[in-house]
Amino acid sequence: VAQLVNKPKTNLGPGFWPVTIFLAALAIVSDYYVIVTPLSNFLPEAAVPADQIDALFKFLTVVGNAIFIYVVGYVVYFSIAFRRPKNAPANTIGIQIHDQPQLEFWWTLIPTLLIVALAIFSVVIWKGLQQTQGDVLTMEAIGHQFYFEFRYPKLKASVRDEMHIPVNTPITLHVTAADVLHGFWVPEVRVKADMVPGLVNTLRFTPTTIGQYRIICTEYCGSSHGKMIAKLYIDSQQDFGKWFAKEANIAASGGGGAAVALTSGQKDKGQALFGQKCSSCHSVGPYNQIIVGPGLGHLFNDTEHKQLVDGKDVTPENIAYILHNGYQGQFNGHAAVMPSAQANAISNEDIANLTAYLVSLSK
Amino acid sequence: MAVATRPSAPHAVLDHIHPEPESFVRKYIFSIDHKVIGIQYMVVGLIFFVISGLLAEVIRVQLLHPDGRFLGGEQYNQVYTMHGSAMVWLVIIPLVTGGFGNFIMPLMIGARDVAFPWLNMASFWMFPPAGLLLFGSFLVGAPDAGWTEYPPISLLGPPGTSMWCAAIFLIGISSTLTGINFLVTILKMRAPGMTFTRMPLFVWAQIATAALSMVATTALAGALAALFIERQFGVPFYDPAKGGSPLLWQHMFWFYSHPAVYIMILPAFGIISEVLPTFARKPIFGYKMIAFSSVAIALLGFMVWAHHMFTSGMVPWLQLPFMILTMIVAIPTGVKIFGWVATLWGGSINFSSAMLFAVGFILTFTLGGITGVYLAAVPVDLHAHGTYFIVAHFHYVLFGGSVFGIFAGLYYWWPKITGRMMNETLGKWHFWTAFISFNCTFLPMHWLGLLGMPRRVAVYDPQFTFWNQFASVSSFVLAASTLLLFYNMANSLARGKKAGPNPWGGRTLEWMISSPPPYYNFKKVPAVLGLPYDFGNPLPYLGLDNPQAEAATPAQTGQPAVAH
Repeated sequence: VAQLVNKPKTNLGPGFWPVTIFLAALAIVSDYYVIVTPLSNFLPEAAVPADQIDALFKFLTVVGNAIFIYVVGYVVYFSIAFRRPKNAPANTIGIQIHDQPQLEFWWTLIPTLLIVALAIFSVVIWKGLQQTQGDVLTMEAIGHQFYFEFRYPKLKASVRDEMHIPVNTPITLHVTAADVLHGFWVPEVRVKADMVPGLVNTLRFTPTTIGQYRIICTEYCGSSHGKMIAKLYIDSQQDFGKWFAKEANIAASGGGGAAVALTSGQKDKGQALFGQKCSSCHSVGPYNQIIVGPGLGHLFNDTEHKQLVDGKDVTPENIAYILHNGYQGQFNGHAAVMPSAQANAISNEDIANLTAYLVSLSK
Repeated sequence: MAVATRPSAPHAVLDHIHPEPESFVRKYIFSIDHKVIGIQYMVVGLIFFVISGLLAEVIRVQLLHPDGRFLGGEQYNQVYTMHGSAMVWLVIIPLVTGGFGNFIMPLMIGARDVAFPWLNMASFWMFPPAGLLLFGSFLVGAPDAGWTEYPPISLLGPPGTSMWCAAIFLIGISSTLTGINFLVTILKMRAPGMTFTRMPLFVWAQIATAALSMVATTALAGALAALFIERQFGVPFYDPAKGGSPLLWQHMFWFYSHPAVYIMILPAFGIISEVLPTFARKPIFGYKMIAFSSVAIALLGFMVWAHHMFTSGMVPWLQLPFMILTMIVAIPTGVKIFGWVATLWGGSINFSSAMLFAVGFILTFTLGGITGVYLAAVPVDLHAHGTYFIVAHFHYVLFGGSVFGIFAGLYYWWPKITGRMMNETLGKWHFWTAFISFNCTFLPMHWLGLLGMPRRVAVYDPQFTFWNQFASVSSFVLAASTLLLFYNMANSLARGKKAGPNPWGGRTLEWMISSPPPYYNFKKVPAVLGLPYDFGNPLPYLGLDNPQAEAATPAQTGQPAVAH
């Protein structure tokens, strides 16, 4: 035993170096495959920082893979090689070695150098993420329970659940939230920012690949958090121009088709539409007959609820306002959301018809 | 001779033994004996482990289908919030500190109890009420914003969210008091001759953990009090609409909760560092490096909290120091792992159930550690934050790390705690089923997250269906494998073989006394001459006059254990 303590290097055991070389080969081969396999095979890269982030990811995988192979390899090899034989006397002991300063020096120094390399590489890529290029499109994304709202410069109305951006144009995206925390993540772009009420965070990226992607909310935001997904369209410059012109037109005309007088509403049409669009959440009974939202049958003669859910007086105009804009806020002691006309896909004419129907129920 | 080696120890004080209390209540319920309190922590912690584990299975049942047919969004959110909260605060932290720390640490340092036994009892008795308060929140509407309870949504959450605040506040006070208690115990009550560099590594882990608990938990207590006050009385701390800051909570929460990760893992490191030498029949490799790295990890643990917040919004340059400090944590962690691997080399390894879990721990924890470095790198974190990659990472650290450490500790110290052996065949079945099903459950979550599945969702994109179902089915096997452990424990209590004082041939002080240990632990406090890991050498203790230890050890250690 004393001899082994003095000369540990010469007594590593017959299998040690073959195993070490085998593990090296395994690490080299698997690292080679990590290096030559584009990560876009698994998840497309749709914007500029994605390739850089993937390069850093690969660096981490190459190093981590080699370390992991050695740890697992040695643990398995030592477990087999130094397993106590079944018939070994109970007092068999292992080699009484306490440490090996040289070995400990190297296995501290090498990881330290790898960490230094990783830190430098990470800072370089990080710096790239902070830079703004010349001609940028600066826009805003706002998280709501449970949808994304997008605002463009020179576009009066905001756009919901669809984000269009032109390819090869640097984007500066300011994100915030209207109610609770949300997150903005496009896996194919590889970047993410939390949407924090009262705070503006900024993402910068340059879309490179035309296509349709998913914008995913990544901070818990309530019961429908998992369903809070919007579409990102990376359009050609032309398609983006067309889409933008169309949106600008809609915005100019008052946001959602031609203006319609409320008095022109027909309650029969409204009743039919109520069955299709509203009745899964609202009854036509009294307020307390709640499905998801309040019952709407007694809007004008309810002595307990003299205001609408948003605190405004009960008038046809204010009813139409909620139908058009939706509602977010407190209802029945918890946070509640009613979708807007755009989300419900109802026109201004539909709003007039629905208002006429709701008025007719109690007036 | 023994007396002569303890120059500073007044003989009369050390040899005075308090009588054991007579009444049932003082003996088993409101006991001030660290061993009884340790067992109380373990029993209550394991009950909560079963409940929280079942909640995890409910999560996996929900995720069998991409459109989540099992629960509505709200119930689902409550289930994973309670699973996470309970596993962290009611299971892992109480088991590794209150459980193993209480039972084992005083024995290991040759003490008759902790420094403040009454405080210890008070600490324990905050734990079951905190658990009842937490699980009681299901009756009024359980919290649903995840175990991190980020405002502003946690301000709007169900009434149970306030109960959650109170419960975690209570368990936090308990944890702080235990930290103070253990710190004083280890600093002041070690047996004569047990210098810092002769302390078993489990004790090193406990002193680092105690310091973390004592300092960090106060930040959490402040954050929780503010959340509670804002919810109940409307004083704005976090609501941005009233001038509060949601990020204030995140900073205070993670200033505690990152150290909390080390509170959960350092004692597991300590357990592994005891189990490996005992079953490899070798000294731990690089004792000083492993001890020092525990302290380094604890210190660094206070300087890395904002790496949980890279996407939350902070001055961009501030990301860099947090990134680099976090990466540095990998160095002491690597040193530990390499030391454990080297401990296996040249051993005479007996693969008992405890040893299997310790070796399995090295593998799973290494993977969890490596993915932690990915998350430290800000650009990669911008992609991986808030996804299933995170879920995979922290389950590799907390299940593959802490819980495997708890399992290893249970199999290792069970004979000491109960005086009876567990069935080793069943234990090995438990290990293999748990190890395989654990990896099958959590490994796929790495790529699920990287490919686009966010965490905390009740529904998911159908492209992820296969691997979610694979993980769910594996998790059912994992739950079933845990039943083997519970059956083994019950079976051992009912008809397990008598263990004797030292069934594994351990050399730390707890193995030198009978199993279960007598009320006073050590009739005469021993003097310590060296490290406990020199197998084949005479035991480094003087003045041990317990004949049972001497009778049991020779066959195991190869040397007569007669104390000089």
